[in-house]
Amino acid sequence: MGKNNRTTGKRGYHNQRKIFGEGMLYISLALVLLAVFLFYPMIMTLYYSFFEVSGGGEVGDFVGWDHYNDLFQSSEFRKSMVGTFLFVLYTVPAEIVISLFLAVIASEKLKGIGFFRTIFSSTLGISVAAGATIFLFLYHPSLGVLNNMLAFFGINGVDWLTNSNWALFSVALTTVWMHIGINFIILLGGLQNISRDLYEVADIDGAGYWSKLFKITIPLLSPVLFFVTIIGIIGAFQTFGQIDILTGGGPAGSTNIIVYSIYQEAFSYGNFGYASAQAIILFIIILIVTIVQFKFGEKKVHYQ
Amino acid sequence: MMKKVTLYVLLSISALILFFPVLYAISASFMQPQEIYAGKMFPSSINFDAYKEAFDSIPLLHFLSVSFWVSFIVMIGQLVVCSLAAYAFVFIPFKGRNFIFFLFLATMLIPWEATIIPNFLTILNLDMINTYPGLTLPFFALPFGIFLLRQHFLTIPKELWESAQMDGCSRFRFYLKFALPLSKSSLIALGLYGFLTTWNQYLWPLLVTNDDTVRTVQIGLKMLIANESSSSWHIVMAAVVIILLPTLLLLFLGLKYIKQGLTSGAVKG
Amino acid sequence: MQSKVNVLKGEMEKMKNLLKGLAFGLVLILLLAACGNGEEDDDASNTETEETSGEVAGSSQEANEEEGSGEKKEITFWHSMSGDNGEAIEDVVDQFNEQSDSVAVEAIFQGSYEDSLTKLRAVGGSEEAPAIVQVFEGGTKYMSESGFITPMQEFMDADGFDVSILEPNILSYYELDGQLYSMPFNTSNAVMYYNKDMFAEAGLDPENPPRTFSEMKEAAEVMTTDNTQGFSFATISWFFEELMANNGGLIINNDNGRSGDATEALVNSEVGAEIVSWVKEMNDAGTFRNYGASWDDPRGPFFAGELGMYFDSTANLAQVIENSPHEVGTAPMPHADDTDPQGAVVGGASVWITNQVSEEEQQAAWEFVKFTTEPAVQAEWAAATGYFPITPAAYEEDVLTEVYDANPQYLTAVDQLENTIQSPATAGALFSIMPEARVIIETALGEVYEGRDVQEAMDDAAANITDALE
Repeated sequence: MGKNNRTTGKRGYHNQRKIFGEGMLYISLALVLLAVFLFYPMIMTLYYSFFEVSGGGEVGDFVGWDHYNDLFQSSEFRKSMVGTFLFVLYTVPAEIVISLFLAVIASEKLKGIGFFRTIFSSTLGISVAAGATIFLFLYHPSLGVLNNMLAFFGINGVDWLTNSNWALFSVALTTVWMHIGINFIILLGGLQNISRDLYEVADIDGAGYWSKLFKITIPLLSPVLFFVTIIGIIGAFQTFGQIDILTGGGPAGSTNIIVYSIYQEAFSYGNFGYASAQAIILFIIILIVTIVQFKFGEKKVHYQ
Repeated sequence: MMKKVTLYVLLSISALILFFPVLYAISASFMQPQEIYAGKMFPSSINFDAYKEAFDSIPLLHFLSVSFWVSFIVMIGQLVVCSLAAYAFVFIPFKGRNFIFFLFLATMLIPWEATIIPNFLTILNLDMINTYPGLTLPFFALPFGIFLLRQHFLTIPKELWESAQMDGCSRFRFYLKFALPLSKSSLIALGLYGFLTTWNQYLWPLLVTNDDTVRTVQIGLKMLIANESSSSWHIVMAAVVIILLPTLLLLFLGLKYIKQGLTSGAVKG
Repeated sequence: MQSKVNVLKGEMEKMKNLLKGLAFGLVLILLLAACGNGEEDDDASNTETEETSGEVAGSSQEANEEEGSGEKKEITFWHSMSGDNGEAIEDVVDQFNEQSDSVAVEAIFQGSYEDSLTKLRAVGGSEEAPAIVQVFEGGTKYMSESGFITPMQEFMDADGFDVSILEPNILSYYELDGQLYSMPFNTSNAVMYYNKDMFAEAGLDPENPPRTFSEMKEAAEVMTTDNTQGFSFATISWFFEELMANNGGLIINNDNGRSGDATEALVNSEVGAEIVSWVKEMNDAGTFRNYGASWDDPRGPFFAGELGMYFDSTANLAQVIENSPHEVGTAPMPHADDTDPQGAVVGGASVWITNQVSEEEQQAAWEFVKFTTEPAVQAEWAAATGYFPITPAAYEEDVLTEVYDANPQYLTAVDQLENTIQSPATAGALFSIMPEARVIIETALGEVYEGRDVQEAMDDAAANITDALE
């Protein structure tokens, strides 16, 4: 780029303007669309969060920080936040550990490994609606096959979706299952990028399977693990479809995690302003999570 | 040898557990209601009645076609918008491009759900509820897609562009004849990714459709649950299987490309 | 350079294979899509055939200024009737379309009442709204104040509609200050369904179901075994509301919001606490089981013969009888031992005409609404579902008398309605945040099932509703 700049500098101002125009032309579509559907709404969300906004988007009285004050005093919102963080905790580590396990056993060169890789990736092709519907059936209090299977082992039926201590776990289980596909694909790709030479050297040194796994594989995989952690956390914060189909935020508000809460406040109760304040908090949390991860992650991650 | 056996056992058990929900859905779709009440694992006979009833209960074919078109339009839109922008960031040295690229990257921090209220109002005010543009337009500009394609364009040697330039090749021609063809694997990865994620969308189509003419299959499924779940789980499961087929097929066919695309995003990112 | 070309060639080869696969997948989907579209075209051509005069009967003020365009006026109708009831509503619409020269109604299922109201709120104030929408009884006050609707009374007055043909008990719920804002369409109340076979096996009298709280408690206990459950109902606020009404309790102050806007919730009153405690005691004893928060949740076990008694809407009677391999009985809602049963609040839904569409379309909507009140239509609708007719004349129709003779279970709800003692409690609560209040009540029930103190949970619920009222 430096070289280019020098040449254009000689040819003068006109040429630079022309290139700028051309560049803008190519990115104009993206720029306009992002402006309309991302920048503008982000600003509007902030704006709405200081007003009473009714269904249909009519902006009413200015209320200042009232919505935010109400949020922090509301026991429901506190419950929703606790639920959201618990949900992240239930899903992210589990989906990474399971996907890593699957990626490690599927990275071996064996006959028919392609079949297994396909199966392990399959949940990427399963939509939220379809996946959640299957689990709704599996969890069914009287028809559900999960309880039938537990009964076979002499374990009492679990109230998967009707007990508020279990419901969030059940939604999380469904979510983990649906996220395994994409995590598996990324982690497998990462594993295959690790040079074989390193393992050969380790073999010569007489390193065992586990020491190779923990001394070579996982450290070298850390940037990829870091990446799946970020998308896992962000994905967990954005969960909606499973909740809508499985629990509708219940029982006793135990699965009313943040995006569902925003949806319900805005579109079911018509409190667009109050919901916007929640959306802003969602935005801030994701921002903080990402920044913190980059700050801390950067140091620990081992780049090849 | 021992290691191989262990691996195969582990692989098989994992595959069985992981795929169990889908297998059971298929199995249940062939059952009679009584068999479901009795908690059976396998149907006593194979019949396709539930599939027929699923098609009768909701306009499933129509919903599938809507989902297909919505996903297809988003896919094409993303490929065009993202490749143009990515091309500019790599091959056009305009002033401020680093800043704009950084701005685009920063938008990855904005969760789409946080903007859903004004976006819904925008679509409402533009009279685009229940329309294809309303379902697709907001997703054309995908920062992740721009990033992915930019990474790939960067691997195209600059010399190629310089020599093409000497031959009098215009920027747009170079984009069409060299940049795009040389990035096919990334384009395919992005296309598949766009198609799959759009097909699987739930919240947005739930908000902007309230008419069967543009209802996607995911929302159709929600309707079907409301409609049939009291007594007809076999029908619901049949519909689930029908809905799963196209995306699973697409995934299996394009798995390699998705893997490449996603991995480059992760490793180089 | 050579190697690069080779790589490219290899890539192209792989590409070709992939494209073949993709093309196959796409063709498959396209084929499906083509079939789907074909169907739709058929539908469209059906509705556009008949030529019409465009004159709408009986409309004086809002008569069509523009003379008929020669086509049927097409309007949309959002409803929330699922399963067999959904088919029944399609039948009503089809019948109307067949006999009408000027109007074609398209019925669109929008999911549950809550989902449908959510969608309506979202598009309220825009042209995306339907001409007619079915809204559950709890949304009455909200709708009347929403600004999205034209009061039904205007059409009735203009058309000289005789309101006295409607069931007075139903009118008393839907009338606000003597005005009808919507037309009741499907009315129901809650009844107790029970499995007669299980009653007999447990040594209970199948013809003499329990009527009081303590009788129910005993019956539930007798029927609870390792594999069977005595009693349940879905965690739906409506059942609580019906129990409140039957025991003379108010949900909100100012006579359930009938004599003025409510300012305070009363769900934590003595009556409210008594009801919830009754359920909690059975829950703790294991004779009551919470199967979930959706209407269908207790139905599965009931059909499977694993549940002795449960509450459900009469609206699903036809469906329940059809799906149960055993004898189904129905009984009125129970009452506390020391209280006389007060009767039921009218449940179900009414239809609203929105002001979001042209006057012409509103007039067309009124034609349809008027049609739904005809005794023959109501009788067929009631017979096919289990809702009761909104006009007493429908009871004289053969379709209905036959069904009632064959299935006396239908009469429980009708009797319950007729025996209702008129009071603010049985008129039902009217307030605009009813949908939100219902979620709050359901949350409280859920907390109680999991061990929270009844009074505490109900106090919290009342406080939350009172907050939302402000």
